[in-house]
Amino acid sequence: MSDGLKIVVLIKQVPDTSSAAGVNPDGTVDRARAKKMMNPFDKFALQKALEARRDHGGEIIAISMGPPPAIEVLNEALEYGADKGYLLSDRRLAASDTLATAYALYKTIEWIGGVDIVFTGLQTTDGDTAQTGPQIAERMGLAQVTYCETMKITGDSIRASRIIDGGLQHVELHVPALITVANSASKLEYKTFANVYKLKELSRDPKALETRVRAIDLDVIGANAARVGLVGSPTVVGKTWKLGEKGGLCKLFKGDAPAHEAQSLVGALAADGQGIEELLK
Amino acid sequence: MSDFGDVTVIADQIQNDIRPVTFELLGAARELAGKLNVKVRAIVMGHNLGSIPATLIHNGADEVYVADQPELAEFTTLTYRRAAISIIDSFDRVPHIILCGATTLGRDMAPRIAAHYEVGLTADCTELDIGEYEHKGKADPAKVGMYHNCLYAIRPSFGESLKARIIGPWKNPQMATARTGALIPCKPDTSRTGRIIPVKVEFKPEDFRVKVIETVRKVSSGTDLLKAKVIVSGGFGVGGPEGFEAVRDLASIFQESAVGSSRKAVDAGWIPYDHQVGQTGKTVRPEVYIALGISGAIQHRVGMGNSRVIIAVNKDEGAPIFQFAHYGVIGDLFEVAPLLKKEFQKSLAAAGAAR
Repeated sequence: MSDGLKIVVLIKQVPDTSSAAGVNPDGTVDRARAKKMMNPFDKFALQKALEARRDHGGEIIAISMGPPPAIEVLNEALEYGADKGYLLSDRRLAASDTLATAYALYKTIEWIGGVDIVFTGLQTTDGDTAQTGPQIAERMGLAQVTYCETMKITGDSIRASRIIDGGLQHVELHVPALITVANSASKLEYKTFANVYKLKELSRDPKALETRVRAIDLDVIGANAARVGLVGSPTVVGKTWKLGEKGGLCKLFKGDAPAHEAQSLVGALAADGQGIEELLK
Repeated sequence: MSDFGDVTVIADQIQNDIRPVTFELLGAARELAGKLNVKVRAIVMGHNLGSIPATLIHNGADEVYVADQPELAEFTTLTYRRAAISIIDSFDRVPHIILCGATTLGRDMAPRIAAHYEVGLTADCTELDIGEYEHKGKADPAKVGMYHNCLYAIRPSFGESLKARIIGPWKNPQMATARTGALIPCKPDTSRTGRIIPVKVEFKPEDFRVKVIETVRKVSSGTDLLKAKVIVSGGFGVGGPEGFEAVRDLASIFQESAVGSSRKAVDAGWIPYDHQVGQTGKTVRPEVYIALGISGAIQHRVGMGNSRVIIAVNKDEGAPIFQFAHYGVIGDLFEVAPLLKKEFQKSLAAAGAAR
């Protein structure tokens, strides 16, 4: 590894549900109108990638999968310091579940070739499965560390600590490996002025920008379209319910006399046959 | 005997500490297996497991496949993956369903097992059931049709306030992970009998690519949250670390009580992570959950929405918590909490006197 590490970081663009844009009153999201952001978990993965390159040299390749506008999230990764970005964008990917997504991303990483470390966030805020990382590792036959908090690379060996139920597990492994980074790991540093400026300069010339960030499709990476999208996904969403539908059942007490409200509430519990002493039996 | 494969549970244990999610999975597996008329099988991997296999039978397993080898003393993805896959492959028929905990162990290993078998896996379920499904979408003609005895893997969709039923009847095993605290365990029965089947796993050199140097665990005080009958939780509305005094004060009058918190208060550094209830914290199901100054975002709700009685105090009448709390007071928590304490003390004293 005389040229340093070849590092891939996976980044997803997700709806920003803290913004009012595109969030319906009932809490559902209108994905077309919603404001978008970099999946917050992925920022911890990007930070680990930046630290690894700072200590060992090499290059950071950010990969995302999504519709064409998601290329923004790769530009943002460049502003934070990534070297290159590839957006896997293809209509045939629509409705991919985690297994199909993992296949598509694995084919992309394989197409890039020679990767030493793949970093991913622990999970995404829109899917929340934490499955895609380990499923990519399985397809690539890689060793993995999930819930990684801290890590140190020495030569081709990695020492990492991962969160387990009630504590930490300290492990040792060698590259190549896939690491999913916990959101308790070190926070992403600020964008540097130099990186932001460089991207701005590049953006003036689409051809020059394309040497750093570009969209690719399934044909470019040689992926089998039958293994992605709805056709390649073993699961579907059968039905959804709104969670707010239980609303209106709450017995609300309000007024200017909190003592009265507190009394009424405790009284109502008893009247409903669930007085506190009954509940604690 | 039915035409289906069994329902298999992969036990969640760290250094012979069997995690509560295992019993919850077995409880759910019994329900599912009852509907399918099949057996519940458990897989447990580790070293010097002692009475653990018998405990799994007491808690609902009919058969327990035990890989008890020094190589499995510590959890590593690749060794546990190898053991689980070799045991599943040794079964007389492909399991209909495989369940794992949505823990740092299950979420690490289950996706690899699913990818190995090229089957679906639904993460972080809060409910499981069996039912039918008709696929009508024409995008993939091969999927169209009516399917019976499908696993209904039900999970909250966190980005939105939705609950989704995920289905994948096209290939078995249908897999799911479930959050700790979400499913209901059976009552342990030490007279229950079953078969314990020891298994010898053949590892490959590449299974040992990750070495465990050390495992450090402390018994978390937050486990009290899982046992408490009353949980009083504080959110961003408590305003700072000192604001949790009001929360602790109210909790102190109940025996078997614990202090919880929303993620925002933990992120702000007002209270340790052990106390966090919700999507990235614990799932709890106490008799009484009292939320003080918690807005009730979906991420919090999924961790406590199944509590028997939910009481909320919040200044903001529009706070989402009032959409699913059973009782609520609109007001300043610092005023209302001490008054609630007084009223609850009166009720408890009256009940004590009557006894």
